[in-house]
Amino acid sequence: MRSLSSYPANSGTSKCKQKEDEAIDLHLFSQFLITGIIMGVLYCLMSMGINFIYGIMKVINWSMGEFFMIGAFTQYILLTFLLGADYWYVGVILSALVVFILGALVQRILIKPMFVGIIEAKMEYATIVTISMAIFLRNIAVAIGGPKIYTPPDYAGPTQILTLPLSGNRLVAFIGALILLGLFYYFIKKSWTGRAFQGVAQNRSGVQTAGVNVLKYDMLAFGIGTALAGAGGALLAPIFLVHPLCGLVPTVRGFEIIVIAGLGSIPGILVAGLSLGIAESLGSAFISPSFVDIYGFILLVIILSIKPYGLFGKPEREV
Amino acid sequence: MLSIENVTAGYVEEIDILRDVSLDVKEGAITGIIGANGAGKSTVLKTIFGFLHPRHGKITFQGAEIQNHQPYQMKEMGISYMLQEHSTFPELSIQDNLLLGAWTFRKDKKQVRQRLDEIYDFFPVLSERRAEKATYLSGGLLRTLSVGKEIMSKPKLLMIDEPSVGLQPNIVIEIYDLLIRIAQQGTTILIVDQNIMKALEVSDYMYMLDMGQVKQEGPKKDFEEDIREMIKVSLMAE
Repeated sequence: MRSLSSYPANSGTSKCKQKEDEAIDLHLFSQFLITGIIMGVLYCLMSMGINFIYGIMKVINWSMGEFFMIGAFTQYILLTFLLGADYWYVGVILSALVVFILGALVQRILIKPMFVGIIEAKMEYATIVTISMAIFLRNIAVAIGGPKIYTPPDYAGPTQILTLPLSGNRLVAFIGALILLGLFYYFIKKSWTGRAFQGVAQNRSGVQTAGVNVLKYDMLAFGIGTALAGAGGALLAPIFLVHPLCGLVPTVRGFEIIVIAGLGSIPGILVAGLSLGIAESLGSAFISPSFVDIYGFILLVIILSIKPYGLFGKPEREV
Repeated sequence: MLSIENVTAGYVEEIDILRDVSLDVKEGAITGIIGANGAGKSTVLKTIFGFLHPRHGKITFQGAEIQNHQPYQMKEMGISYMLQEHSTFPELSIQDNLLLGAWTFRKDKKQVRQRLDEIYDFFPVLSERRAEKATYLSGGLLRTLSVGKEIMSKPKLLMIDEPSVGLQPNIVIEIYDLLIRIAQQGTTILIVDQNIMKALEVSDYMYMLDMGQVKQEGPKKDFEEDIREMIKVSLMAE
């Protein structure tokens, strides 16, 4: 591990310099820690979306990165041509709404037909549909926007927490993501609709005998899951910038977080997201930024070798 | 109340589980369906509730044709269905399980509260453990919770699939006592059970299915006379 204090100091001023270096180290460490926490929470939005769709439909949506990208593009268009940078939060809501509608339509037209009646291999079908959707949407983005990178206006200028300088965009995205995650958690745990979603996830036949229209809830779940990705795309637009492949990294991180957390655990996702973000940030700072994509996988392998079901996952008991 | 006329249904194309089945459920009565494993008993209930749609035939409930309805529409019409496997939600509390049973009238907060109190009066054991997750309940209590959840909506018709399966004999007696109490409150019951003796004990009218067809039907006393033969046939079929 490389740190600033590990560089040799001159003997004359060694004690004083050592103290100074330690302070700088702590300062840097705190800064990278905060950056890790921020990125971890932002990745959680994507994980939550993937996890939610899987929980309800038992389908992994492989096109989540593309819905993230659509959210980012929508936000860019809204801020650049319609709303202006001051109304970035309105843009986030509208981008999430656009992605929600698109996601619900994709589910309604392409996936729902396989969930009506007793049809075998529906999961395999859904996998092929979502992978095809990812390729299709990515190519549409290239066809419309070209292979360019678009830069949305900043949401906020550089700021600082205590003595730590911080990107305003990251702070704003972090707060936005926390609010969205909080609202989502409250919605799932406290509302009738959330209770129905939990019912669909836990016992699909049982919830139908309660009178819940599961096909409608499948569509809503797909819409909400993709909207979370879309909101993530909008929030992260000034950080990851906007281009046809901008959803790739958050999608990979999203899946890593789910595996680390254990499928189906909402608090687990938050813990795993924070762990991943911190591991990535500290690894980049103190080892090398060249291996930024590997730190998450190392964490994943360590966790799975200790807890094969993930941090919060458990073997299912059918009741 | 409920009438099934010449219904043919199955899970896979060209394989019929039910073949030209007809039966009637009279209002206020307990109707039993018995038969060996694979006779099609559970499929009858699944077809009535809309999990399966018949290939041929007609199902009417209080005069309305329902054979193409979805399960949630059945619930709205006043039909409840207690599945053979548990119809509860393991990670939700007992109270949340019961609340989901009130889904069809969830907007009427007063009625939800009132019905919840009634269910707790009916099942004091559920009231005592209302905050616990369903996953911590025993098999018998889970069955009780399933019944509680299904009668939250005050159904006109309660369909029950194998209430005694997998339970200890003393718990089976409790569950059947419970069903009699529910029937006494005016709920029509259609029950499917492999436990011929218990089904016979509570039913007013019975059907016996064999290989997806109604082999015998009649009031309870007719079946009582043939009970030994039926048990023999049932055991041989297994």
